[in-house]
Amino acid sequence: MKDSRRSRLFLGLLLAVALVLITVDHRSENTPVFGPLRTIVTSAFGAVERGVSTVTEPIGGFVGALAGAQGSREQITNLKAQNSKLEGELSSQRIDKRRSAELQAMLGLSGLGGYKVVPAQVVARRASPGFEDAVEIDAGTADGIKPDMTVLNGQGLVGRVVRATASTATVVLLCDPASSTGARIENSGELGVVSGLGANGNSGRRIMFRLLDSTLPIAAGTRLVSFGSQQGVPYVAGVPIGVIEKVEATPGELTRTAYARPFADLSSIDVVGVVVEGPKRDPRDALLPPAPKPAAKPKPKPKPATSILPGQQAPPQIARPGTANPETGPGNTVPQNTRPENTAPENTAPENVSPEDTAPENVAPGNGPTTDRDDRGPAEPVRGRDGETSISDDEAA
Amino acid sequence: MPRILLTTLLVLTALVLQVTVVNRLPVSVVPDFVLLVVIALGAIRGPVAGATIGFFSGLAADLLPPADHALGQHALVLCLVGFTAGRWAERWPLLTVAACAVVAPAFALAVSGLLGDPGIDLRTFEAVWPMAALVNLLAAPVVVWAVLKVYGPRPEKATAAAVPGWRRA
Repeated sequence: MKDSRRSRLFLGLLLAVALVLITVDHRSENTPVFGPLRTIVTSAFGAVERGVSTVTEPIGGFVGALAGAQGSREQITNLKAQNSKLEGELSSQRIDKRRSAELQAMLGLSGLGGYKVVPAQVVARRASPGFEDAVEIDAGTADGIKPDMTVLNGQGLVGRVVRATASTATVVLLCDPASSTGARIENSGELGVVSGLGANGNSGRRIMFRLLDSTLPIAAGTRLVSFGSQQGVPYVAGVPIGVIEKVEATPGELTRTAYARPFADLSSIDVVGVVVEGPKRDPRDALLPPAPKPAAKPKPKPKPATSILPGQQAPPQIARPGTANPETGPGNTVPQNTRPENTAPENTAPENVSPEDTAPENVAPGNGPTTDRDDRGPAEPVRGRDGETSISDDEAA
Repeated sequence: MPRILLTTLLVLTALVLQVTVVNRLPVSVVPDFVLLVVIALGAIRGPVAGATIGFFSGLAADLLPPADHALGQHALVLCLVGFTAGRWAERWPLLTVAACAVVAPAFALAVSGLLGDPGIDLRTFEAVWPMAALVNLLAAPVVVWAVLKVYGPRPEKATAAAVPGWRRA
């Protein structure tokens, strides 16, 4: 009896403490007590998570390859092809390669929009039901990351930073129910709000778009870009968000509701970029991937792309001629573009005299870099082409 | 003292592996290993220890980096779960573990809903709870077995003696 009463008392005490904690923390974020506590514990756990992540990341990659195969037939064939390759290849090598492709895509996108990004890698994730959808990345205030910065990857918007310690930062994803983002319909100025659906988002439609003007029709397939907040906090303008898949009939409501699929695959994000400085000009629809309806007037600013942080300056510059070549090399007749590409094969392969003399720019650059970057995903060259042509338009004009 | 260290180590391992490995697997539903470890420890150690372990594991889970919810939410849930597991595991061990694994996700959802988290309604229950309960149920035997292996079987008869005492009351 005594033991039971004691234990019940104890339980009551602990529950009361938990409730007090919840109440205090709910009322005010980062109170003088909890703020430092959180910071200390977060940095300690963050370091551990970084360590564990580096050890265990092949596991995720392996299971990812397996689980992805169930999805579609195309992926099964992909996996089979990969399997044969895998026999002679270490899995870690493959993961590195995929990661570098992701990084290239991300840097390509950010270069296109003129964002200054800090690349980072996801080390931990939380997704228990009823709680936030958030990830931890391995870059922090030491890399210039502050709360309320936009996070994107090679496909589109991922989320925003909510908390940053010296070496890690917490990112709340786009699909978290508590996150909402200003969004704009492509090719128009129509505005709306994108909010996460959390666990309610089924079959990949993880975000909800509410168009503020309820009289306008929206069609499935319409694509959304971020509208951008004041001074780019927390969201910079022009980042692709997603494509609308289902429009809900909401007669009599003040807004129109639609369900959309984010461009970024939020269930398996790995390499992300944190935008530490937004573009000087809104890139409008330039960052959207080419689709059945190509974006009408892509107008990116080419200058900021070159002024990316010193560490990241090289990759986008390599990425863009490389990705541009396989498809637009022949079609692109603007001299500004082909000239730098033309010099590259000259330097690398001087013995290749005859194609240089006889064949013009179109053939030579198509050969060299394409073989180097064969293993890149299919989406990136297309995007690179879009950016390349648009830059040439700008420079020609 | 070594028991406390072992418990701490077990819970911390579960916490870190949950966020770094399990949650990042590209599947939609994953079991909550922290919850299952707390259930197993509570079932082995009894109600008071279970509540304590649950409370501090929950607090650690609240502070673990990718976190953007009110501090104490997990602590509340896991404290009660640890207590429940310890309280009834003596009589119906299997049933208690299973019931805790199934009910805990719903309880966590309910707490979030009561705290006014956005995006939690009855539809969320329908969408989330069945699958979460199912995977927890599937993973529970493995976790309990592993914890028993690490921890050894019920260490002393003290908890067993406590139950008849409770019955008399």
